[in-house]
Amino acid sequence: MIANPYSGADWNAVVPLSIVAVAALVVLFADLVTPKGLAKRWVPVAISAIGLAGAAFTCGEGWGHSYAAFGGGFMVGGFATVFQEIVIVAALLSVAIYAHVGEDENFSGGLALLLWSTSGAMLMAGAGSLMTIFLGLELLSLALYCLCGLSPRATAGEAALKYLILSSAASGFMLYGMALFFGATGSVALAALAGQAVESNALFLCGTALFLIGIAFKLSLVPFHVWVPDVFQGAPLPVTAFMSVVTKAATLAVFARFAYAAVTGPHAQAILAPVYVIAGISMIVGNLGALAQTDMKRLLAYSGIAQVGYIVAALAGSTALGLRYAIFYLAAYTFMNIGAFLVVALLSTSKEEGSALAAYRGLGRTRPVLAAAMVLFLLALAGLPPTAGFVGKILILSANFDAGYAWLAGLLIAGTAISLYVYFKIVGLMYGRHERPHPTEVRPVAPLAWAGLVACVLFTFVWTFDPLGPSNVLPLVK
Amino acid sequence: MMVLLALVVLPIAAGFALYALPRADRTLAKGIATGVAAVTFLAGIALRDQSMSVRWLARPFTAAFHFADDGIGFWIALLLALCTLCAVLAANVPRLRDFLALMLLLEGAMMGVFLARDLLVFALFWDLMLVPVFLGLLGWGEHPSTAWRYLIYNFAGGLTLLLSTAAFGVAFGSTDVIGRSGLAHLGYIWGPWIFAGFAFAFLVKTPIWPLHTWMPPTYSDTPPPMVAVVSAVQSKAGLYGFIVVGMALLPEAMHAATYVMLWLGLISLLYGGFVALVQTDAKRIVAYSSLSHLGLILVAIFSFNALALRGALIYVIAHGLFNAVLFLVLGFIEEREETRSLPRLGGLARANPKIAGAFAIGALAALGLPGLIGFAGELIMLTGIFSAGYFWPALIALVPIVLAAAYMLRLFQDIMQGPEIPDVPIRRDLTLIEGLAVAPLVLAMVFFGVNPHALTTFDTTLYVSASELAP
Repeated sequence: MIANPYSGADWNAVVPLSIVAVAALVVLFADLVTPKGLAKRWVPVAISAIGLAGAAFTCGEGWGHSYAAFGGGFMVGGFATVFQEIVIVAALLSVAIYAHVGEDENFSGGLALLLWSTSGAMLMAGAGSLMTIFLGLELLSLALYCLCGLSPRATAGEAALKYLILSSAASGFMLYGMALFFGATGSVALAALAGQAVESNALFLCGTALFLIGIAFKLSLVPFHVWVPDVFQGAPLPVTAFMSVVTKAATLAVFARFAYAAVTGPHAQAILAPVYVIAGISMIVGNLGALAQTDMKRLLAYSGIAQVGYIVAALAGSTALGLRYAIFYLAAYTFMNIGAFLVVALLSTSKEEGSALAAYRGLGRTRPVLAAAMVLFLLALAGLPPTAGFVGKILILSANFDAGYAWLAGLLIAGTAISLYVYFKIVGLMYGRHERPHPTEVRPVAPLAWAGLVACVLFTFVWTFDPLGPSNVLPLVK
Repeated sequence: MMVLLALVVLPIAAGFALYALPRADRTLAKGIATGVAAVTFLAGIALRDQSMSVRWLARPFTAAFHFADDGIGFWIALLLALCTLCAVLAANVPRLRDFLALMLLLEGAMMGVFLARDLLVFALFWDLMLVPVFLGLLGWGEHPSTAWRYLIYNFAGGLTLLLSTAAFGVAFGSTDVIGRSGLAHLGYIWGPWIFAGFAFAFLVKTPIWPLHTWMPPTYSDTPPPMVAVVSAVQSKAGLYGFIVVGMALLPEAMHAATYVMLWLGLISLLYGGFVALVQTDAKRIVAYSSLSHLGLILVAIFSFNALALRGALIYVIAHGLFNAVLFLVLGFIEEREETRSLPRLGGLARANPKIAGAFAIGALAALGLPGLIGFAGELIMLTGIFSAGYFWPALIALVPIVLAAAYMLRLFQDIMQGPEIPDVPIRRDLTLIEGLAVAPLVLAMVFFGVNPHALTTFDTTLYVSASELAP
């Protein structure tokens, strides 16, 4: 009989993500036994919310007890906890959107896929070895391919296919890079890559290039960003909201772990420099692209390209403060971005999603509360006070100055200057005196979506005054 | 401490609370807004060397929500509270509730700028004060393009301010520095760049030629009560910044920029003066006269002279008072005559003696008549500039004072005197409320005009001595 190589602590490490995955199964099962009617929607939503809340709770227990499970394959506590919590919160908010605008057909199936995708992202957040990174990435992506195509609208199939083909190619790049890493070190552990000895290895350098291309694709950094607007526009709204944060958060966790823990030789900054260069370019290109958009989902897709550029820029120089500020900005971005998507959801009618910019005309007069919330989120995305986005940008700027990357700070400011028109164009539509209000259908009250909106408003505002990112997230591998 | 907090938080909270009132009830909205503005003004009077500080950031530099009323901020805050009170009283625009809410939000944001003792808090409120004006221009302005022009210029300034603030924080380790001076030498090669970022923001906000092109359309499009506050107080944020940030914190870089700034100031004061001579839109005349007057204050600041600085601070208040009066009265006239084009106005003084009287006092203060507040400020500034050894700048600065007499008298004549235009719809003199809105400003102009030393409680030595330490 072969002894079980893993202890109880190893299995404890994956309890949070197992809860999410099991909740997805329960959702599917419950769908079979609930009678037709309103319960068909609320029972699965309630199960998902409970599952995610349970995962958030058990995950929070691990904060402060950092250890490496499965021989370094999966990290618990600190950094992993923070990213997992961000992923869970984003998933919860997406479920709130889903509960409001999700199609009746395949309702539970979509929810289950969303949860599985979440568990994949949680796995990536804690991944300490190449194997777990890839496992998490595929779990996240496979569920998302299906989710993108779930809507009966014609564009959804196109979005799904585009995403499938391009994302698979990127996964291929990443996998090839990982194979080369394995060739260079003979190990799948990220920790094995650290140090000077590996840095001069040609296999390692080629592998890094391929691995980072994969990362840049998943993060939607320029020039690997062209899929984002099409996929975001075609996918159903809750899926777009989910992807806009969760894919980025999970990939950022992998990138941060790689940059901080695996590339540690004397030339580390030179090796990582290309990523920071394309992050800087993304800030400009993303915002320029957003200028011309007339669809809210496409606009937020482009703006997301720029926003992820800001977050990656915070990591330049691999400083402890930079990591803290990247996490803070990511957390703030979660609330302000999904907050904007929640407004879109609350504006949706049974015929169309509220994503056409025309739907925002005169909103300041017809739906003052919704318009005011939107203004707050747009201010936050533009980096204006009194929002967490303002403080987050200041922190990233100072991290850049601190680490000697003043040029990134300059690009960040230039990108922000362009983004002004993007975000204030919507403010102009909502409050301009010449704007004729767009007739909107009054939909049933959506308590969950409103609760999510209130949470987003609160966090976006209150974090202006208490922008303390988590400390004690280093070291990233053991 | 409570008073300081009330000055910043009360208008903002009340501004949001106004949205809860019924939309159509104009009297209620105006009553509440006036009450809040009055309480804020009384709180401003009660300010005496107060200070409060709440920790904000610990890393990468320390920052705190630190507010205090020492130095210059006190008088500008008081000016702001007074102007807002008068403007709220005078406001008579469509959708009054929403407009008054914006006015109160604007007041709170600007209070934050002038009372902040922390650069980061200063930057926060600096950016915040853009939003109400932008929304005001969008909702009540004549052309949406003006709102965009205002926003793009001022946001660009806000961004360079932000960049410089972050760089300053990283270099110095703290942004809790406003009101301090004689800081240890920064020893930072980016000192001039940091100053350049601040200076760009300040020049845009003031504005100074050639960054002024947002200002004339903004001043002529914004509804009068809001433009009274914007031109009277928001335009001072840049000059205030030059004194408390430039002079006190970055003296070397400030000195290095002297000649550029003197030139920009002189060009502004000449350009503004000459353009004001030929405008036919009454609000634009006052707008360009502003450019001229603010250019003069910039020259005074950059002469690094204690006397000139004292004069500049008096003139900051003076300009705020007479600009507020001029814009409010022009608003009353526009409401009655439905035009502000000089060729279509005339002879109002006969039917509206009170309007004419208030307008005359404002115009006379603006052209520097002795006995009114403008004269004291101009005389002290010019003496200071001259005694600092800047002979030619002082001489050039005399030109727009002559021009001011020409364009202000022309403005007054064309509107108030001459033949009456026959088809004017309403001949109604100042109502009681309108009178109440203008009276405090006029009284203040007269009071400080004969008694200017009441304003010189500023501790100018703090700033001038800091700049004299520089090589």
